[in-house]
Amino acid sequence: MQFDFTEDQHEIKRTAKDLLAQRSTSEKVRTAAESGSYEQSLWAELAELGWPGVAISEDHSGGGLGIIELATLLEEGGYALANSPLLASAACAIAIQEAGSDAQKKEWLPKLASGQVTGSFGIAGQTFPDLVDAAITVSVSPDGSSATLIDVSAAECNAVETIDPTRRYGEFSEADQSGEGMPGDGAAALDISTVIVSAELVGICQRALDMTVEYVKDRKQFGRPVGSFQAVQHRCAQMLLNTEAARSVTYYAAWSADADRSLLPEASALAKSSASKAGVEVTGSAIQAHGGIGFTWEADVHWFYKRAQMDAAWLGGTKTHRERLTRIAAAQAA
Amino acid sequence: MDLTFSTEELEFRDELRGWLEANLPGEEPRGDEDAIYAFRTEWQRTLYDSGWAAVHWPQEYGGRDATLMQSAIFFEEMGRIGAPLPANVLGLLLAGPTIMAWGTDEQKDRYLTPILSAEEIWCQGFSEPEAGSDLAAVKTRAVRDGDDWVVTGQKVWTSGAQYSKWCMLVARTDPDAAKHKGLSYFLMDMEQEEVQVRPLVQITGEAEFNELFIEEARIPHANMLGEEGNGWIVALTTLMNERSGLGFFLQVRLRQMLDRLIAEAVANGKIDDPVISQSLGDMLERTETLRLTAYRGLSTIMKYGQPGPEGSLTKWLWSETNQMMTQLAVDIVGPQALHSANPWSYELLRARGNSIEGGTTEILKNIIAERVLGLPRK
Repeated sequence: MQFDFTEDQHEIKRTAKDLLAQRSTSEKVRTAAESGSYEQSLWAELAELGWPGVAISEDHSGGGLGIIELATLLEEGGYALANSPLLASAACAIAIQEAGSDAQKKEWLPKLASGQVTGSFGIAGQTFPDLVDAAITVSVSPDGSSATLIDVSAAECNAVETIDPTRRYGEFSEADQSGEGMPGDGAAALDISTVIVSAELVGICQRALDMTVEYVKDRKQFGRPVGSFQAVQHRCAQMLLNTEAARSVTYYAAWSADADRSLLPEASALAKSSASKAGVEVTGSAIQAHGGIGFTWEADVHWFYKRAQMDAAWLGGTKTHRERLTRIAAAQAA
Repeated sequence: MDLTFSTEELEFRDELRGWLEANLPGEEPRGDEDAIYAFRTEWQRTLYDSGWAAVHWPQEYGGRDATLMQSAIFFEEMGRIGAPLPANVLGLLLAGPTIMAWGTDEQKDRYLTPILSAEEIWCQGFSEPEAGSDLAAVKTRAVRDGDDWVVTGQKVWTSGAQYSKWCMLVARTDPDAAKHKGLSYFLMDMEQEEVQVRPLVQITGEAEFNELFIEEARIPHANMLGEEGNGWIVALTTLMNERSGLGFFLQVRLRQMLDRLIAEAVANGKIDDPVISQSLGDMLERTETLRLTAYRGLSTIMKYGQPGPEGSLTKWLWSETNQMMTQLAVDIVGPQALHSANPWSYELLRARGNSIEGGTTEILKNIIAERVLGLPRK
């Protein structure tokens, strides 16, 4: 047993972190959030590096790597709060790979893997990240039992404003009936997207924790750093526990997607249950530990809180996935 | 990343499983401390005779040179099959490794084999009434008298003291030195009139722990472990071994407890109550997180030689989860869970000790904040 990344995987993660630290600075995140538009050059660069198709098979012009590698990229994307359609487009591509017909794969995977077009993914009737500018979307039923491929240009959909301006969201109109059926494994498509958004949440938690630790070491009240007060210290310890717990189960779930699919349904529920809770609690705690400044628009912590809220709710939050965990365990016990 | 056991790990596990299935003793006696002790001594002798008493010890001292992962597998399998703990668990996990790290050749020759065979049981004389979380505040005094040290003081929470031949004792040898620097570490013979053991009855009604009253006990200088004044550092070696491996045993037991609870909820229909279902989901998330985080921590230590941030979290998470789970059992089972004859009533009360023993949760959070996150001390 080796519950750690391989050297190659570490290298991918390190490279992604370094790149995004330069390309997706706090200033850029703010500019993108306040203007409601992404910087196209970042997406072009990520596409050039092969990020959107990292886990797509080489037969379809992807990178041929696994969900673990994709998860590390999304974790770092979350850490930097990068403004790009990476999550949505990678989720769409994975869904087509899992659930699509040969013709659907042949038509869409190379374009999605190269970043030539972007895609989206979501549960029917709910919120779709980066929908309006996408060329193609996979919509699944809540349990993943059916999946539909939707040509966005032919569909009735529109942008929705959410609390999270760091990412653009959309929804289909209720009347929309477009799309073609997908013959493959919609449940696996849903589970894997659940895992990769969990990875993004882990990155968000780590960043919120790092920002908080830095702030409470620096900020002085009563003549000493607030980070020397036990109440603040214990809050930070709890943030670490939540972050590391989410990390353990998310890495496990990513591994199960690559190595043992029989574990994936339970593992993805574990990951999302834990990461949704951690995301909301850790970023909320970060605002509290920053005190008054944390509640201002000017400080950066709120971007993380807002993205975490959307990620936590997308594809089901803690309560949805805990219920699923209990259902799986009860079926085994019965 | 590979979360399956390697061929060597599987071979180790299968050999152990086969042996356990053939040699597992019957049900452990309940309630009678002496009977439990005798049962566990017999069990340790059985383990010892087949070379399973301390797999993590080096071969030259009678162990199997097991890797950390094999040691974890050992404790997981012991937990899974419902095996009792060996009688000399403190000797095997704490005294042995501390003597191996700090002992002279003579000390290693003298003490290690009887630890393994359960011929000599060990207890741990660290905590005092005035030195709990603040361990370096120990007041027990040791004064040099020729070749001996004369020791006077009081220790508390010494489990197994009434059965012990030896005690890992931390005492103050230099009252003028700074708090952490005036301590020394001794191997104290418990078989002397000057050491009195009094059982400490806990909230469960049983007495796992004792108080030690030490009145001018004599310890030969040759029984000092490490240098004079070095006791704090030696004690840290003991404390760092405190939860090694055992965490895997406890984690498996916790999961078994949860599986019983789920079966009960399925049987009595409470599983359909959405609030109960949510709570069980929380417990499933926590037990899996514990298992996976423990393995992740182990992989980190094996690869990098030192624990990562996750290593400090499992004891906290385990104790909190055990308390929540035993409370949930009352909701699922109903008031019968609190009848004395019902095992849940014992588990509920015993769980209260988990967040205190072996480092309170508050102290663990301080350690995480200061040593892992690097926050400033007061």
